[in-house]
Amino acid sequence: MNALSAVMFREGKIRSTNVTFIFWDLVYPLAYLLVFGVGMTAMGLDVPGTGMDYNAFFLAGVLGMASFGIASNTAWSFFMDRDNGIFYEMLTYPMTRAQYLLGKALFNLLIALGQAAITVLLASALLGVSIRWPGVPLLAAAVFVGTAGWFFFYAIFALIIRRNDAFNAVTSVFYFVFLFASSMFYPIEPLPAAFRSIALANPITWQVDVLRYATVGVGAPSSIAVEAVAFAGFTAVAFGTALWALSREQ
Amino acid sequence: MQHVIDVHDLIKTFQRRRQPPIRAVDGLSFSVRHGSIFGLLGPNGAGKTTTLRVLTTLSRPTAGEVLVEGFDVVKQAVEVRRRISVVIQETAAELFLTVRDNLSTFGRFHGLTPAVIRSRTADALEQFELGPDANRKVMDLSGGFRRRVQVAKVFMVDTPVVFLDEFSTGMDPLLKRAVMGRLREEAARGRTIVLTTQILSEAEELCDDILILDRGRQAARGDVHSLKLLSSGLYDVSITFDRLPEGLEADIASYGAVRHRITQNTVVVTLKEHESSILDVVSALARKGHVLRLEINGATLEDIFVELTQKSRKEAR
Repeated sequence: MNALSAVMFREGKIRSTNVTFIFWDLVYPLAYLLVFGVGMTAMGLDVPGTGMDYNAFFLAGVLGMASFGIASNTAWSFFMDRDNGIFYEMLTYPMTRAQYLLGKALFNLLIALGQAAITVLLASALLGVSIRWPGVPLLAAAVFVGTAGWFFFYAIFALIIRRNDAFNAVTSVFYFVFLFASSMFYPIEPLPAAFRSIALANPITWQVDVLRYATVGVGAPSSIAVEAVAFAGFTAVAFGTALWALSREQ
Repeated sequence: MQHVIDVHDLIKTFQRRRQPPIRAVDGLSFSVRHGSIFGLLGPNGAGKTTTLRVLTTLSRPTAGEVLVEGFDVVKQAVEVRRRISVVIQETAAELFLTVRDNLSTFGRFHGLTPAVIRSRTADALEQFELGPDANRKVMDLSGGFRRRVQVAKVFMVDTPVVFLDEFSTGMDPLLKRAVMGRLREEAARGRTIVLTTQILSEAEELCDDILILDRGRQAARGDVHSLKLLSSGLYDVSITFDRLPEGLEADIASYGAVRHRITQNTVVVTLKEHESSILDVVSALARKGHVLRLEINGATLEDIFVELTQKSRKEAR
């Protein structure tokens, strides 16, 4: 526990040197919802098959996008640590490689939870999104596991790819493929079969569907349970692979 | 415990794509006594840093057994990490944090209480003359000051073993001297210091046990005095002329000098001769011009280092 709290303390210290960064981290999904969501809602279209306006539909999408974004930024910090030389020194500190990864993830999970709380509360207060409040524990779990899963996923690439520019190119591709071939911006049911198959196999669809069920109650509990288990499996595999990648540093 | 570090038949091989693997450490065995200052010396690529990386759990051995304080560096890596503090070769610091926060974060990783962290941070800031910069971010400091912060961290904790890879890089002579003094004090208190250095005078002054590596193997081992015996008959002759005589380099070459260096009016020649004939060579050289200053010294660690590594390379051919 001591090692985990030390890594979290370090991450917090570094993040606290830039208050603007923390502020943006916390409000960025809300800002996205206020600009993109409100714009789409203004077109006056209900989202097909859901009977809800775009703000309510997109709330889960923006929370999933925030998990994805915070995870890629946290993974990118491996490059910063390498450039500062501290990465290798830290590997000699009294902790396991797993504690290092988990500690790095944990601080950012707290940010992600804060971000989700602000977004959901203000979406309800400012945009009138009808939140399913009993779903809040599931929402917290989906944000927590989701952000961790995407962090471990990105960490694999950050640890294997030694070049910052190459990692940035990879994340650009991931943003395009994962975010658009998913249920983040639109429901996948009306999509062409091939596109729909890709979206169904996309872990971000699993996470967003769970978030959507937790926040506004869309989806069948049985299929949501399958997606939740699948995402937990994805997180476990990503963690194991990231751990392997970190050990490869040796 | 008599030995703090035990290395048996250590081999470290690096695989490369479409090229033969490199054996950076090749069957190395040694042990380090409790409370000693142990120097790992060798030319570039000798395997010093690779050995240090294995000892500090940064790198896994390909074969062999490595124990630090009785703990295996592979199977009990965390136990080893609890007992070591490391200054790696590259400058390593939290650039976005202040000097004070760099020290306190390190202390936290090693499980120090907040009160201990505060008092040791104050001591380290004073000792390393970092007080005026305590609240400045490390990114705003020069390379030398960043290195200072990095080295100061190992004095925040009481780990029984300290590893320093080229610790004095970027340090001014006064601070270097102060750090060397502090390292001696730490060794006297029972901490074991393991260091690598390219500055041989530093090792000569500091280390009471030295291992010279070449091509991943032991080239020599012992304290400075016993190493010097390996090279009996090696002398450094320094002659300062009022004006450098013409043709001096050709003369030096004819005496079979191990090496020589000419700086302005001074020539420093390293000769491997029998004691009786060294004076003949010196007087012949001295007759070439008007001598202002003459000095004859026994072998330095540098002489031994050069001789041993050259010998080992000849044998390898």
